[in-house]
Amino acid sequence: MAHKVQPAIISCGFCEHASKRSDVNMAELVNEAVEDCIKKANIDWKDIDAVINGNMPAFEGANMPELWMGDHMAAKNKPMLRVTTGGTTGGSVTIAGYYSVASGLYDMVLAIGFEQQSCGDTTVGLASVGLGEFTIFSDLGYTIERMRSNMGGGAAIGIASYQAMNYMRRSRATEEDLARVVVQNRRNAAKNWWTHLKMPSITIEDVLDTPYISYPLRFGMVCPASDGACAMLITTEEKAKQIADIPVYINGVASYSNESAILGIDCAGAGQVDPCEQLGAMKSAEVAYGQAGISFPNKEIDYAEVYSPFPNQELMWVERVGLFEENKAPEAYQNGVTALNGELPVNCSGGVNSTNAIGASAMERPAEAALQIMGKAGNQVPKTVHTALGHGWGGSINLITHVVMSDEPQRKWR
Amino acid sequence: MGEKIISKINLEDEQDIYVKRGMVRAEFDFWVGIVMDKFYEGLQNKQFIGTKCSKCGKVFLPPRNRCADCFAKAEEFVELPQTGVVKNFTVSNYNVTERRVRKAKEPNMVGLIQIDGADTAMVVPIINTNPDDLKEGMKVKVVWAKNIKGHPNDIAGFEPVGGG
Repeated sequence: MAHKVQPAIISCGFCEHASKRSDVNMAELVNEAVEDCIKKANIDWKDIDAVINGNMPAFEGANMPELWMGDHMAAKNKPMLRVTTGGTTGGSVTIAGYYSVASGLYDMVLAIGFEQQSCGDTTVGLASVGLGEFTIFSDLGYTIERMRSNMGGGAAIGIASYQAMNYMRRSRATEEDLARVVVQNRRNAAKNWWTHLKMPSITIEDVLDTPYISYPLRFGMVCPASDGACAMLITTEEKAKQIADIPVYINGVASYSNESAILGIDCAGAGQVDPCEQLGAMKSAEVAYGQAGISFPNKEIDYAEVYSPFPNQELMWVERVGLFEENKAPEAYQNGVTALNGELPVNCSGGVNSTNAIGASAMERPAEAALQIMGKAGNQVPKTVHTALGHGWGGSINLITHVVMSDEPQRKWR
Repeated sequence: MGEKIISKINLEDEQDIYVKRGMVRAEFDFWVGIVMDKFYEGLQNKQFIGTKCSKCGKVFLPPRNRCADCFAKAEEFVELPQTGVVKNFTVSNYNVTERRVRKAKEPNMVGLIQIDGADTAMVVPIINTNPDDLKEGMKVKVVWAKNIKGHPNDIAGFEPVGGG
């Protein structure tokens, strides 16, 4: 699939993330990221043609918040579209921005992802996501009481612990391997200005010293709940060349959703019993790389941001998206391949493991990857980044978004 | 799994899992932020505090930190007078409580009131007058509640200047 117009990212903005941003309301929080983005691009807000935004529905107890913060999004009298796909919202918003520009409809699109989790009850929001699971429990004849006691096996942490168990059995990864990922993420986050959990001197022992939440995941391994927002300006190749020093071209996007046996509606999933198999991630990676003309992702990708609220997922995703061979990721992390100065740095922003404002998280991945190409990231890698990957995960455990970007436009000869 | 699996069809004679009801408690907060906090602080001192746009000079009440028209910062706080103008109004004959809707003894008057010097308007009750005397553009002044606690209810309503 070749696009009609070549879309490019020219600027990414963030607001400061924290567990409680009580100094601002939701509109002002979003506005901080929007202002940061517009200021860094050095354009006038009137140059923006359309605005696309999204957050997790019902997490803040505010439905359709875009309707009362349009002016704060620089969207006055402009076409506005809301996209929400759960955890991948940010990724879907980015892809919607890409589509708007690639189709030739708009020249300059502002994409915004946000979440002010401290306002709401996350568990209530997650209950709507967990519908599939409730259906299954009912079908198996669980009473509501038993369902409640089994909720340890529900919601995000429950899914992640099944994944972690399966992954650890497959790859023989140990708890130390999981802790090592956390240490790398939180130390990276300490060097990035907008992140939430900054822990510059955390050690593997510190992580392993915290209690279990759901085996094998410990308290110290789990992502925080953050308030934050991210904004991104996507424009055409011609405009990007005029505005930005190094435009970041979006060369491949894909989003796939595959039902798993655990979370298919009425147990009727595609029979994918192993939650760490992730065929959707493999397929979407294949399609996005194909669009971008990448044949050997492990050689051609210079930097990757993957969506990993839990450390086992980071190990799993880097394998599933083709950056490492299967079951080889723990070894790579041990050898420092994925560190800031490694051969293939991963999640140098600190990742979702350090900052998780859900509606923004999947957009912060491509945004940080784009900043690494521009050379403007908060925790910039020393080597030159030409091609990078921004990955998002969400839905229940099954929706994946991929954005592959480069400092060169899509090859026309394809 | 050692448990008897109940299918949907046999539910009647087995434990009925579909009609069991449970309460889910969901609490939501809303951060007003520093700017609106200043507004409520103003109410506590019986003042109206708005913000002024740094570029076009528009005054917002209730305050906001960003001008809607020129996207410039609006962080200068200004105190506004206690009088205003009715821009629009409506009359309702019903009282709505948490549990029921019932006919009100006296009609409720609600108006869109623009405080003098502000470019925006607020929806607030109009009191001490009757629906027949209401008209657009009439001058009103604020009536403060008896117990002031920095809350939207501190404004008891607006009444016509000079008894209507």
